[in-house]
Amino acid sequence: MKRTITAAAATVALAGLVLTGCSGQAAPAEEEGPVTLTVSVWNYDQTPEFKALFEAFEAENPDITIEPVDILADDYAEKLTTMLSGGDTTDVLTMKNVTDYSRYANRGQLLDVTDTVNAMDTDKIAGLDPYQVDDVYYAVPYRQDFWLLYYNKGLFDAAGLDYPDHITWDEYADLAAKLTDDAANPKVYGSYQHTWRSVTQATAAAQTDGDLLSGDYGFMDDQYELFLGLQQSGSALDYATAKSQQISYRTMFETGQAAMMPMGSWYIAGIKAAIDGGTSTVDWGVAPLPQVESGEDTVTFGSPTAFAINTKSAHQAAAKKFLEFAAGEEGAKAIAAIGVVPAYGSDAVAEAFTALPTDDLSVTTFNEPKTVALEMPVSENTSDISTILDEEHDLIMVGEASVGDGIGAMDDRVTSEVLG
Amino acid sequence: MTDTKLDEETRLGAFESTVTAAMTAPEAERVVGRRPRRPRGGRRVSAARKALLYALLVVVVGLVFVPFFWMISSSLKHDNQVFQIPTQWIPTEFVWSNYVDIWTQIPLANYLKNSLFLAIVITFLQLLTGSFAAYGFAKLRFPGRDVLFVAYIATIAVPWQAYMIPQYIMMQQAGLVNTHLSIILLQAFGAFGVFLMRQYYLTIPDELCEAARIDGMSEYGIWARIILPLSKPALASLGLLTFVGVWNDYMGPFIYLTSNDLWTVQLGLRSFVGQYDAQYAMIMTGSVISVIPIVIVFLLGQKQFIQGIATTGLKG
Amino acid sequence: MAVTAPAPLATRERTKRRRRLRDIAVGWSFILPNFAGFALLTLVPMAGAFVLAFMEWDSFTPPEWVGLDNFERMLGDPTFWIALGNTAYYAIGHIPLTMAASLGLALLLNRRLRGLGFFRTAMFFPYVTSLVAVAVVWNMLFNPTAGPINQALEFFGVADPPGWTSSSAWAMPAVIITSVWRDMGYYMVLYLTGLQAIPTEYHEAAEVDGANAWQRFWNVTIPSLRPTTFFVLVMITISSFKVFDLIVVMTDGGPGRATTVLSQLIYRQGIIENRFGYSSAIALVLFVIVLAFTAAQFTLQKRKEL
Repeated sequence: MKRTITAAAATVALAGLVLTGCSGQAAPAEEEGPVTLTVSVWNYDQTPEFKALFEAFEAENPDITIEPVDILADDYAEKLTTMLSGGDTTDVLTMKNVTDYSRYANRGQLLDVTDTVNAMDTDKIAGLDPYQVDDVYYAVPYRQDFWLLYYNKGLFDAAGLDYPDHITWDEYADLAAKLTDDAANPKVYGSYQHTWRSVTQATAAAQTDGDLLSGDYGFMDDQYELFLGLQQSGSALDYATAKSQQISYRTMFETGQAAMMPMGSWYIAGIKAAIDGGTSTVDWGVAPLPQVESGEDTVTFGSPTAFAINTKSAHQAAAKKFLEFAAGEEGAKAIAAIGVVPAYGSDAVAEAFTALPTDDLSVTTFNEPKTVALEMPVSENTSDISTILDEEHDLIMVGEASVGDGIGAMDDRVTSEVLG
Repeated sequence: MTDTKLDEETRLGAFESTVTAAMTAPEAERVVGRRPRRPRGGRRVSAARKALLYALLVVVVGLVFVPFFWMISSSLKHDNQVFQIPTQWIPTEFVWSNYVDIWTQIPLANYLKNSLFLAIVITFLQLLTGSFAAYGFAKLRFPGRDVLFVAYIATIAVPWQAYMIPQYIMMQQAGLVNTHLSIILLQAFGAFGVFLMRQYYLTIPDELCEAARIDGMSEYGIWARIILPLSKPALASLGLLTFVGVWNDYMGPFIYLTSNDLWTVQLGLRSFVGQYDAQYAMIMTGSVISVIPIVIVFLLGQKQFIQGIATTGLKG
Repeated sequence: MAVTAPAPLATRERTKRRRRLRDIAVGWSFILPNFAGFALLTLVPMAGAFVLAFMEWDSFTPPEWVGLDNFERMLGDPTFWIALGNTAYYAIGHIPLTMAASLGLALLLNRRLRGLGFFRTAMFFPYVTSLVAVAVVWNMLFNPTAGPINQALEFFGVADPPGWTSSSAWAMPAVIITSVWRDMGYYMVLYLTGLQAIPTEYHEAAEVDGANAWQRFWNVTIPSLRPTTFFVLVMITISSFKVFDLIVVMTDGGPGRATTVLSQLIYRQGIIENRFGYSSAIALVLFVIVLAFTAAQFTLQKRKEL
């Protein structure tokens, strides 16, 4: 009896906590005069794109001051979740990926910005589709990274090989074998596939029309066989070593230990900074991601990053103004200038993107029309499935499960543990 | 089974008689008086065994220092050289500038100051409240004491992540989020210190308290004037472990401290981990710097571990 | 006894009750400063979390009472059982090895010798060295082909040395070895403190009785260390069941799920997936397990004291 009362009291207390924590407040009337807008960002000092955007925005809107709410990139989503559950009023929230976005949107923590989006030049904004939830937009992307192939021109020249211009995965494997140099110290690998599962799985999904949420993963078969073959023949650093030593892909490429590497476009700014800073001397270029068949349009994958507005924001009009700016041409030019790939695409933006090597292949790679699939589709099951795919990827790559068994385990587990 | 148990009981019996003899029997007093006094807190070691001991220690220390050596070596490299294969133990080029740049890349001095402030305040409060409560659990008898104690300890087992959000909401209601006070309140009242101090107090003979009680001393007086001075080694180790715990804590400050002015060293180090890659050389540089205060505290504190109550305590 | 006239029953009862009340008041006055802070800031939210175990909550919308659903889900969740098994495996390996290593170190270093202060400090280094460095170096030592550990094993004639962190069967032993290495200095500090509490007279008296070094260790040191050993045992047990950081940086639960432990699951389900109800339910189970162990250890210790 007594225990029930205690439990009931605790429940009431907790419910009270939670309810007061999230009691919504009506959107206040828009005030005149100077406004300070708070924006949640990660690693403000180390991530120049935010400062570039904010400064450009403030220059155009002198009555609005932006105050970054600095959160560590490492556990950004965890902190944002905690803050919002406590009723935080930060105005603009940066959505690090689409999965987190769908969570906040479904919980009603984000403001409907459909009107703002529709007023924009939506044709020119890449990566907008995934942000539409039941015909409503709760965020608008300002940045859209996609995957491409980085290669080391010096190593290609030394081996007397042509640069990897629109190649297939079979040609990629061939080149990797030819570019591998066991005698070099340290050893030069023809290719490096980073340990992330997306390197294999998202590539396969994008290029074979596979669905990563389907529970049927036969489409990954060829890609796994290819990458496993590379590591068995010594043309790629083996996964077990890379994973257990926490190998950094930047080390592999910037020190010339890997001749080719599929990686996201964010690395363009990184490698340029390394060369400018004198810590790397690699002569590099980018090419389209290798394809399954030759002669077809480039298909790759990527993940957009977006800004959203907190429902508890007290400065919604100013926040909308910021969204419009950041996702539009002016914002795009500001971040393109520092080597970040904007979601908004136009000739002026492409011109502002100066971090890219100037050779034809690199420029074509960047500007040619291409299909960019979403790295991981969004549903309520995304992160559960993601965990399973990660675990089984691990087992296949260290060689504990054959490709067939590993993919079979993915099918079974996703079907029974998540979809079932 | 039975044999071992019996065996143990006999041994225990033997031990207890030895102890009682040492504590009460006049022979023991005489024995102690007759023999040359040993150095406190340690025992005599012959030269050969001493050499062996040092040799053993050097081997163990070698093993202990390998990762630390890697940490220092990495702190003197460029970011893209840290995870090279095969591992480079000695950098090809010593990047001493890391140790200069880190102070300007992040406000490290301010972070160190914040960490130091939190560690000192929390350690002080933990020592005070912990040793006070421990006296209640170890030397006083009152109904419900043991049940309360076990429950106290078991709560240490609940991972913080499990109640992090309810706790955060409470703090938010109290308006304490984004203040150092929130971290102090969260960490100063841990059950760990109570437990550690209680266990130490158990080894201090009850006779001391009884005698003081008969002399009319209050319980508070006994705690302050008899027990506390006797528990220096325990206070030293609790202080040290608390200090290190606060210094190395990441998740607490991360969740509660939003403005950069309030950040601690661990948050500063994590700010080198980006969305897609990390500046490992800088992280290692920062780690080396952040270990230094701990080493100093340890070197100062460890002396307490070998000069406890050994001989003086019992005669009191 | 019968000589002194017994006080009237009522008075005696009253004095007894008054003394009892006084004992309680004094006892609580000692405990309260710590307990008040602890109860308010830890116990209340913890109780809240345990209530959440019977609810569904995403941290934003109001919680919904679901009874035992979360526990039912747990029974049918293969990852929970794997994590429970792994946690137990880790505890069984970690607890005895760490206790032995830290006690050994403490005995070795509990002397007044030149330079031992340095060694005592050195032993604490693994605990304060950055976890990233620990993970990297130990993974390197454990490297299946080029690592010194396997090279040594091969030298001593082990034909097929283990794959350590890249093998499901050997990843947990590798983690346990690393964790013992890392934690031994921490518990050494506690043992050193405990050794200080043993009056030298005990040893001297035993020596007079003709006990040799081993007998003195077994009959004087070990029994006198009992409160410390109890403390260390309880703390290691708790920290073993809660193990998180080291596993996250060293193997991140892999390969596959070979080293996934309960606290990782609690973290993942709660903070990452925002299923705070389910996460709390797992935490509650973990709490009950540890409570049972602690209570058992406490009772055993009490019995030995009698």
